[in-house]
Amino acid sequence: MTENVKENTPIIRVKELEKYFLAKRGYIHMSQYVKAVDGISLDVMEGETVGLVGESGCGKSTLGRTIMKIYEPTGGEIFYRGQNITKLSNKKMHNLRKSMQMIFQDPYASLNPRFTIGDIIEEPMVIHNMYTKAERKEKVYELLELVGLKPDHIRRYPHEFSGGQRQRVGIARTLALNPDFIVCDEPISALDVSIQAQIINLLEKIQDEQGISYLFIAHDLGMVKHISHKIGVMYLGHLVEFGDADEVYNHPLHPYTEALMSAAPIPDPKLARESKRIMLKGEIPSPLDMPTGCPFASRCPRCREECLAGPPIMVNVGDRKVACFDYL
Amino acid sequence: MLNKSEYFEPIDPDEKNDEFIAIESKSFFKDVCERFVKNKRAMIALVIFLIIALMAIFGPMISPYSYDGMDTAIMNQRPSAAHWFGTDRFGRDLFTRVLYGARISLMVGIVTAAINTIIGVIYGGIAGYVGGRVDMWMMRLTDILYSIPELLYIILIMLIFGSNVRSIIIGVCVAGWISMARMVRSQIITLKEQEFALAAFVLGANSRRILFKHLIVNSLGTIIVTVTLMIPQAIFMEAFLSFVGVGISAPMASLGTLAQDARTYLEIFPYQMLFPVAAICVTIFSLNFIGEGLNSALNPKGKR
Amino acid sequence: MKLLEIKNLTTEFKTGQGIVKAVRNVNYSLEKGEILGIVGESGSGKSVGMLSLMGLLADNGRIVSGSIIFDGEEISPISEKYKNNKKAYEKRMQEIRGNDIGMIFQDPMTFLNPILKVGTQIEEQILRHTKCSKKEARERAIELMKKVGIPSPEKRIDQYPFQFSGGMRQRIIIAIALSCNPKLIIADEPTTALDVTVQSQILELLQQIAEETGTAIIMITHDLGVVATLCQKINIMYGGQIVEHGTTDEIFYNPKHPYTMGLLRSIGTHTNGERQSLIPIPGTPPDLLKLNSGCAFMPRCSKAMKICKDYMPCRTQFSEDQYCSCWEYCKDSADKIVQEQSAAVNG
Repeated sequence: MTENVKENTPIIRVKELEKYFLAKRGYIHMSQYVKAVDGISLDVMEGETVGLVGESGCGKSTLGRTIMKIYEPTGGEIFYRGQNITKLSNKKMHNLRKSMQMIFQDPYASLNPRFTIGDIIEEPMVIHNMYTKAERKEKVYELLELVGLKPDHIRRYPHEFSGGQRQRVGIARTLALNPDFIVCDEPISALDVSIQAQIINLLEKIQDEQGISYLFIAHDLGMVKHISHKIGVMYLGHLVEFGDADEVYNHPLHPYTEALMSAAPIPDPKLARESKRIMLKGEIPSPLDMPTGCPFASRCPRCREECLAGPPIMVNVGDRKVACFDYL
Repeated sequence: MLNKSEYFEPIDPDEKNDEFIAIESKSFFKDVCERFVKNKRAMIALVIFLIIALMAIFGPMISPYSYDGMDTAIMNQRPSAAHWFGTDRFGRDLFTRVLYGARISLMVGIVTAAINTIIGVIYGGIAGYVGGRVDMWMMRLTDILYSIPELLYIILIMLIFGSNVRSIIIGVCVAGWISMARMVRSQIITLKEQEFALAAFVLGANSRRILFKHLIVNSLGTIIVTVTLMIPQAIFMEAFLSFVGVGISAPMASLGTLAQDARTYLEIFPYQMLFPVAAICVTIFSLNFIGEGLNSALNPKGKR
Repeated sequence: MKLLEIKNLTTEFKTGQGIVKAVRNVNYSLEKGEILGIVGESGSGKSVGMLSLMGLLADNGRIVSGSIIFDGEEISPISEKYKNNKKAYEKRMQEIRGNDIGMIFQDPMTFLNPILKVGTQIEEQILRHTKCSKKEARERAIELMKKVGIPSPEKRIDQYPFQFSGGMRQRIIIAIALSCNPKLIIADEPTTALDVTVQSQILELLQQIAEETGTAIIMITHDLGVVATLCQKINIMYGGQIVEHGTTDEIFYNPKHPYTMGLLRSIGTHTNGERQSLIPIPGTPPDLLKLNSGCAFMPRCSKAMKICKDYMPCRTQFSEDQYCSCWEYCKDSADKIVQEQSAAVNG
C-alpha cells in the first residue's frame, strides 16, 4: 500500500514521530534521554480500529498521549485529516479536541471523585459551550442510555460504581463531544474478564453506529484481535510490525511478534499443550542505553551479525510492514 | 413465599436488578461528615470549641462587667459567685477578661488561618500546576522566607505598626502561608498526573478549570485539616508573643497578655494564671482533636 | 493421604458498612504434586481463601467456621487445638509458612526487602530452616537462583532488588519459596503484573518445578489462559463460593455452571479464522454486602429461575472430579433443599 494509491486521507497520520523524555540533565556530559517513541509512522483510516500491542515500557501509551498532544512531540509530525497538528498550541487544539478524544486505562482514576456522574458527562459540553443547559441534560440521559447505564445514576458518585460501569461513564463522557477519533489507552486491562467483553462490544457497537476510528492500545493480545482491523506491534519505542489484524496474529513475520503471540497463554488446554512457546532469552536493553542495531537483537532467536550494525528500516511485505533484516 | 410450581419458571428481569448500585448515594463530604460525627473524641472537641467560641463572641456582651473597668475595692479577689474567675490586681473581672481574650485569640487564629489559606492555596496551586522553572523559583522564594527567624520580623513589624492585633496578624502571616503552599503544591503535583486531570485536559479544559475544579477540589480535604491545625498554631503564637511582652498591650487583653499579667503574683494568686492558661489549653486541644478527627474522617483506613 | 483438605471454610470481614462474607462454605482438597487453579473475578474470594488458610488475614477478618487440614494436621485457628491459644497458632503457622508452604505474590516488591541484597534474603530463609553454615547457605542460594533461571547467579547474588527486572524479582521470590523444599506453593496472581513474554517464562518455570520436585501448586488467577496452560484441576469461584470444580479439560470442554460457560464465551476462542463477536456476561460482579440468600450469580445469569433468588443450590457431581452448584442440575431435590433452608432460616 503505497501512499499515492490511497484513495482517501487517513483520519490520523503519524509520521516519524519521536517523543524523548529527559532522564538525566547533563552539564558536562551529554544529557540522557529515554526514547519512549522513536520514529513511528502509522495511519488510522476512517472507521477503522488500529490495535497497538507491546509490553510495558514499549512506548505505546506515550504514543497515544503524544498523538493527543498531552505530551509535546520531540520530532516528527501528526496529521488530523490532513491538517498538521504537531505544532498547534493548546488554544488552537481546543476545537480539534471535539474530534479527537481519549479513553483512559484506570476507571478508578480517570473520573473526578468529587463530581457526580451527571457532572462528569456534562463537563465536556460545558467546556465547549455546547447546547443550552436543558439540552445538555437531555444529552447526558441519551449518553447514559447509549452506554447501558440508568437515568437515576446521574446523581451518583464514581466510587459507587464498579470498574466496568465507571469505564462506561468514561466512554459516555468522551462521546459527549461527538469525536471521530478516539485513543483507547488500555481501557480494559483494569477490568474483570467477564466485563472486558462488555466494554469491547460497547466500543464496537459505537463504531458501527457512528463510524468512529479507534487507536486501541493494549497488552492483552486476545482482546485486541477481537476489536482491531489492523495491529501494530511495538518494541522499545519502535514499531516492528504493522498489518491486517488476522494476518499479524496468525502469521507473524517479525520474530518479536512471533514470540509475543506464542507467549500469550491460550485459554484452551489442548491447544495449550500442543502449542510451542518461543522462550525469549537475553535481557531487555536499558532504554537509556539502546543498542545501535535492531532494538530486539539482544533477545532475538534469529539475530545475525548485520542486526547489530544498524537499525532495520520498515519494509513492505505484501500488505504488511516489518522492520527486520530478514525481510530486507 | 415461592410456590412449588413456580420454582423453575424464569425469574422476572426486574428481580434480577443486575445493574444495581451497592451503597446509598453519598457525596464525598456527606460521607466525611458521617464519619466525623461517629468519632466521639472529635465531636466532644467540636462541642467544647463551639461553646468557647460562642462564649467568646457573646459573653462580653452579656457580662455585667467590662474588660477594662477598674474597681480598686475588689482587687485580687478569689473566684466567687459574683466574679467566677476572681478579679485581677486592678479589680477587673477576670472571667470577662478571659472571654475577651479568647475572642481576640480566636480572631487572630481564624483571620490568619483564612489569609494563609488563600495565599497558600493559590501560591502552592500555581507552583504545583505550572511546575518546571516557575515552580523551582517560587519554592526557592518560600525557602528564603522560611529561613528568616520568625521573631525577628514579627518584632520589627510590631515596632513599625505598633503593638496591636493587626501587627500580630501581619507578622504571623508573613511566613504562615508557606506550610499551606508546600502542602497544596505536593498535592497538586500528585493529582495532576492522575488520569482525571489528563482527561480534563484532553477534553479541552483550560488551566484555571483544571486547577480549581479538578485539582484543588480534590485536595480540599487536606486543606481543611491543615487549616484546623493552623488556627491553634496562630493562637499559640499570639499567646506566646503577648506573654513575652511584644504582643497586644493593655488595656486590651488576649489570653497571652492575661497570663503575662498574672506572672508577677503567680505565687500569691495562682488562679489569675490558671484560668487564661486553661483557656488557651482547652482551645488548642479542642482544635487539634477536631483536626485529627477531620483527618481520619477524610482518610479512613478501614474503608473498603 | 491428601495434602490439603479444606472443609466448610467461611471467612468474614468487618467493614464500615457491615459484615462481608468473603468466603462462604468452601470445600476442596489437593493431592500431592497436583496443580490446582483457582479462577475468579475481583471479590470472588479467591485470594481471601488463601490468606485464611495461611493465617494472614487482615485484622478485621476472621475465620468463622471450617477446618483446614494440611498434611494430616489441623491448622484452622478455630480448631479445638488453637481456639484458645492464639500464640501457639501464630507460632505453628510461622513454621508452616517457612517450611512447608511457599508463597508467591503478585507484586514481588511487597515481599523483598529493598535494602538487603537478594542473596542475603535467600540465605536468611535457608538458615532459618536448615542447620548449615553461612557458606553452605550461600552455595545453596546460588544453586536456587540457577534453578529458577537467573543468569550468572554468582554475580547477581550480591545485587539489590531494584537492580532486577519484574520477572527476575518474581524468580527471586520463587527461589525463596523453594528454599525450604515446600510441599505446597501458593501463587496469588504471580504473573498479572508481568509482561506476556515474561509470564510464559514464569509459568514454564512453575511447571518445571512441579514436575521435578513434586511440589503441589495452587495457582490463583483471573486468567483462563494461565490455568489452561498450567493446571490439572480448577476451582471456579464466584461471590465467595466454589461454583464449579473439575479437571481442566472438563471445565474448558464441558462446563456445567452458567458462570463458567459465560466466562469462556466472554473471552472468545482462539481458533484461527473469522473474527467472532464476544458474548459478555451482563451486569457487574456481586457486592458481597448485598448478597441475596440464593445463588450469587442469579442477577447475571441468563438461565435464572425463581428459585435461584432465595435458595442456595446444592452440589451436583458429574464425574469423579467435576461438580457444580446450580439449580439447573438439582431440580429433583428442590423440595427437600427448600425445606431444609427454610428451616435453617426460621430456626
